[in-house]
Amino acid sequence: MVCSRMLAVLLAASFLCGKAKAQEIQLKAVAGLHYDKVRFRVSPGTQIKLTLSNTDDMDHNLVITRPGARMKVVKAAEALGAKGPGISFIPTSQDVLWHIPTVRPGETLSVTFTAPRQPGVYPYVCTYPAHGATMYGAMYVTDKPLPALKDDPNIPRGEGGDMHSMHAAVDMPEHPYPMTPPYLYRTFMPDAGPAAIAVHLPHDLSYCWDAGSCSLRYVWSGGFLEHEALWKGKGDAVAGVAGDIFFRAGSSFQFRIGDKDSIPGISFKGYRLVSRYPEFHYRLNNLEIYELITLLKDGSGLRCSFRITGATDTLWLPLPHTGTATVSCSAGQEKNGLLRLLPAEAARFTLTIKKEGHKP
Amino acid sequence: MKPLFICIALIAGMLLTCCKPATQQGPSYRVESIALPPGLGGQVGGLDFLPDGRLAACFSSGEVMFYDPRKKTWQLFATGLHDPLGILAEDSSSILVMQRPELTRLKDSDGDGQADLYETVTDDFGISGNYHEFAYGPVKDSKGNLFIALNSSSPNGGVMKTVRGPLNSLTMDHPKQMFSPVPYRGWIMEYTPGGKLLPYASGFRSPNGIGFDPEGNLFATDNQGDWVPTSALYQIQKGKFYGHPASLAWEKGWDKGNPLKLSPAYLDSLRARPAVLFPHGIMANSPTQPLADNTGGKFGPFSGQLFVGEMNQARILRVMPEQIDGQWQGACIPFFDGHGLHKGNNRLAFAPDGSLWVGQNNHGWAGDTGIQRIVFTGTAPMNILRMHLVPKGFVLSFTRPLDRAAADSAAHYQMRHYRYHYSSKYGSAQFDVDTIPVTGIRLSRDRKKVMLTLDSIIPDMVYELTLTGIRSESGIPLSDSLICYTVNRTNPEKNDPDNF
Repeated sequence: MVCSRMLAVLLAASFLCGKAKAQEIQLKAVAGLHYDKVRFRVSPGTQIKLTLSNTDDMDHNLVITRPGARMKVVKAAEALGAKGPGISFIPTSQDVLWHIPTVRPGETLSVTFTAPRQPGVYPYVCTYPAHGATMYGAMYVTDKPLPALKDDPNIPRGEGGDMHSMHAAVDMPEHPYPMTPPYLYRTFMPDAGPAAIAVHLPHDLSYCWDAGSCSLRYVWSGGFLEHEALWKGKGDAVAGVAGDIFFRAGSSFQFRIGDKDSIPGISFKGYRLVSRYPEFHYRLNNLEIYELITLLKDGSGLRCSFRITGATDTLWLPLPHTGTATVSCSAGQEKNGLLRLLPAEAARFTLTIKKEGHKP
Repeated sequence: MKPLFICIALIAGMLLTCCKPATQQGPSYRVESIALPPGLGGQVGGLDFLPDGRLAACFSSGEVMFYDPRKKTWQLFATGLHDPLGILAEDSSSILVMQRPELTRLKDSDGDGQADLYETVTDDFGISGNYHEFAYGPVKDSKGNLFIALNSSSPNGGVMKTVRGPLNSLTMDHPKQMFSPVPYRGWIMEYTPGGKLLPYASGFRSPNGIGFDPEGNLFATDNQGDWVPTSALYQIQKGKFYGHPASLAWEKGWDKGNPLKLSPAYLDSLRARPAVLFPHGIMANSPTQPLADNTGGKFGPFSGQLFVGEMNQARILRVMPEQIDGQWQGACIPFFDGHGLHKGNNRLAFAPDGSLWVGQNNHGWAGDTGIQRIVFTGTAPMNILRMHLVPKGFVLSFTRPLDRAAADSAAHYQMRHYRYHYSSKYGSAQFDVDTIPVTGIRLSRDRKKVMLTLDSIIPDMVYELTLTGIRSESGIPLSDSLICYTVNRTNPEKNDPDNF
């Protein structure tokens, strides 16, 4: 109530002043060749200050055209050839009503103008070569309500109008093969180094193995990955874990050789697919380690089968972890969360990670 | 009088008729699109041909697939790779792939047609998790060395809590500039047959494409942005610095602090000049892989020249580098513009039959996806074959003899020059733009070359030439009539050649 009264007073005041302050519209040029808003509304004949901030990593401009003239102006801009750069790719044309010239990344420029008295849909578009096909929107000059976004023919196709749905079309990668577990992605994962490997197994189990530290990072059950953020646009994101993590290795979960307090030199050698399960191969100092992670038969957890060649010293593995899983080892001795393997024991052993309270 | 006129008219008519097939000849190249298997996104990261003639392609969605051009069938070879952007087929069961975290050898060791061994060839370089840390290559020299290129990191992205490789915060104070938080972002690297990955050349921002010319000279492209005033092609030499400062943080013994804060004049004195500039918005905005025409004429008359992809426009470029006074420079020209090629031209490969395969990718920027091939039809094109700098001007060679009257008209040659300014700013405007009159025209005896004389030639300038009205003696109009020559150095010879 108070608000609406204040608004009325403000409106009256501006009306009495005779010259209303310009209505301010803020647009951003964003990654993936888009403006952050695909449309806005102004009243016929009002004073407008339109500001474009470039948050992308390449140059953009903004041209407002006569109704229906967007593609004509885009084509005229593309035909500028060698003349384009000197004039911000803005062609001389009666169809160009107002424009903001080149805005470099991180910069902001504005244009002030009086909105047409003639109601209509006035397109705005970036006329940089190849940008005009997706980088546009609609300035509605009207006092009437706008059509529903989904029915609006004047905004880029497939756009829901706000940035959250802009790239919704690519929420999952497409593949020319059936997605039958086990399969893997090398991708950016949370709580791992940038050389992560995400593996999806039958029984809705998945794990993240880090090819940087050459160690298991965490295991989860439920869905596999949330890709949307990663596969849209340029990939400035990490995949999401689409389930519940029941085992998360402690930060010290890496083999040590001889000296239990120092991390040996690590070198990732790749992996072999064994019935489509990856068997990781890495080198720690002079030790060759092969680690094959498979399912426990009832789907209650994972079995990490190790083969190690060249061991002459005691091998140590700190087992602290969080989550509800229980961890056991087929060989060696565990004391205060530290697993000790004698060279002969290290040649072949398994680590079992079992989901607590699993009901097959 | 009248019969004579009719007679002349008849002869003229006959002449016109017999010339007609030439002026209305079919196109010299055709573009075909390759159907992809259902479910494949089609963001092409790399293309190469197997010794058996099949295409090997890798895709941003992680697959390596083979395509048999005769049967038109696709076969899956490998999956799950992290944004692979380069491929080199050793044989049909051993494929090198450059993926984001490493160079990997994919091997089909059990002969079932699919890779079962994913061997790390080298991951001896840093990754911080910054989305812009793309990795390109590999290409192989005659001694068996492999070369890869590592993108710098983007100020629009961050660095993960855990990185691979030692973190160096020197370039992380980097307003609006690409940086290099882990080794060797912004470098071209050499992987030796002995298994060592060595830094080779520095100064790259976004070097999405490396390749050799037929003589074994290494070339790389870079994308316009900070410290790259306009996109360019460089000839790469060991130990040289090519302009983007961030990479200098990993120069051995570097003791000059944050290289991004050094004076542009000092950095300018360190850098090797680009061989060929691609004027932004005119030639290319996002150049990709350089590939030498090694088809021995199967792809037309441009043997030995380089083709360079362009992501941002429906175009590939043809580049004709040359050495003048020991300095690499030369001309670039659109190749066969406007004949159905899509945008996003990221990767190129010549098939054994001499057709040029083009893989498309947009990676969140402008561009299309998919694969097309360009086929030479056997009809000689009407093109500029070469542009060569002489002391007082340029010699243009053409693929066909010229119509003398058209070639002799100064009005048919519009020359401009301009320069770009090297700085931390994102891209550069054109400076010192000037129209340069062509003061002399000489046609060679075979009418396949024209020497254009200018009053003066200034180094560090792009000379942009637009031809109009030029046609062959049989009347075929010139295709692709805008050409840009980067003059790093003027030709030091005393006189223009008499015979050319």
